[in-house]
Amino acid sequence: MSTADIYHRILRRELHSPRSVLAITVSVVLILLCVYLGAEIVLAMLGYRALLATPQDMLTALGTLGSAPVTMPIIVGIVLMILGIMVLIPALTPGRRARHQLAGTRAAVVVDDEVIASALARHAAHAGNAHPDNTVVSISAHRAIVRVTPTSGILVREEAVSDAVQEQLAAFEPTPSLRSTILVASAGKVGG
Amino acid sequence: MNDTNRALNRALTAVVGVLALLVGAALIAIGTVPAIAAGYRSTAPAIHDAITGWLKTLPLFDTGTSWGWILILAVLVLFVILLLSFIFRQGRGQEPILLREDPTPAGTTIIDSDVAKQAIQDTLDGRPEFIASRVSTYRVHNTPVLKISVTCRRGVSPREVTSLIQNTLTAFDALLGREIPALIQISGGFRSRMTRTTRTQ
Repeated sequence: MSTADIYHRILRRELHSPRSVLAITVSVVLILLCVYLGAEIVLAMLGYRALLATPQDMLTALGTLGSAPVTMPIIVGIVLMILGIMVLIPALTPGRRARHQLAGTRAAVVVDDEVIASALARHAAHAGNAHPDNTVVSISAHRAIVRVTPTSGILVREEAVSDAVQEQLAAFEPTPSLRSTILVASAGKVGG
Repeated sequence: MNDTNRALNRALTAVVGVLALLVGAALIAIGTVPAIAAGYRSTAPAIHDAITGWLKTLPLFDTGTSWGWILILAVLVLFVILLLSFIFRQGRGQEPILLREDPTPAGTTIIDSDVAKQAIQDTLDGRPEFIASRVSTYRVHNTPVLKISVTCRRGVSPREVTSLIQNTLTAFDALLGREIPALIQISGGFRSRMTRTTRTQ
């Protein structure tokens, strides 16, 4: 296997969720169901009292489902369908993690969006003469939104902030690339 | 990085999801659509009788129960074992050997992953930018790959972190005489918010 294949694989795996938590949860639920059924079968075979219903009773209940009162099957059916959708959606969606790939010469580089955001916030605050705590950056797959709240009495130059953010993003070279939006609040904040 | 079988994760959850949807839809249909309920009423007893009849054909000596239940128990146990092995297979794939040279008449050279771990981690641990760092080796497509994960302080530029770690890696390459594929993973994380921030103003 070539090095390119290896990098391709590890990047794909680092940028997407393995869905392990979901798979483990589903497995545990299935195991519990099996253990319950097994316990009922053993109890029935030994002639002890059933926990909820004997396996025979379960079969009989299934056989008479069409004629018994219908509210219970409908409620169970609705719950099952909701659970099914909740499990099926994450199984079929890509599950992108909140990460970006950065350009690297020696290694593949993967960065949490949070780190990019805090670096952008620091530079934006510095360029805009705002306090770092009053600068909020949110990063999604293709956008970086920088919200700057000026310190009262100090002018924030939007172009300076925009330039600083552009410069940083150009240096990071994130994949997928990020388009920046600068929002300067009209009302300032005292102190900070 | 690890060799978790992600396709299997998704396949299992998708199959369970589809089954739950189908059973749920069937239950709702039986409860609400009269035609389906009538159809169910006419066929279910036959299936029910077939199953109980099958259980009766396999009597367990004269205890009044059936071999059939034991068979079902065995299937359940097998299923549970499969699911447990599936759970415990998640997240493995760490590799103890970094490099194994081709044997020469003088012998074979094997370099442990610990060498990389200590050499790289030593350099990174002293840096003020990082709260934590971890170096591990994984096997990807049968090739060892280094993974360097670092947790940064707030506001540290990922660009600087990248070049710092890449320089460390290049130095390690020179030491090793080889270039091992590597992944750098930079995260912020909860701890970086709880510790001292770097002020620049």
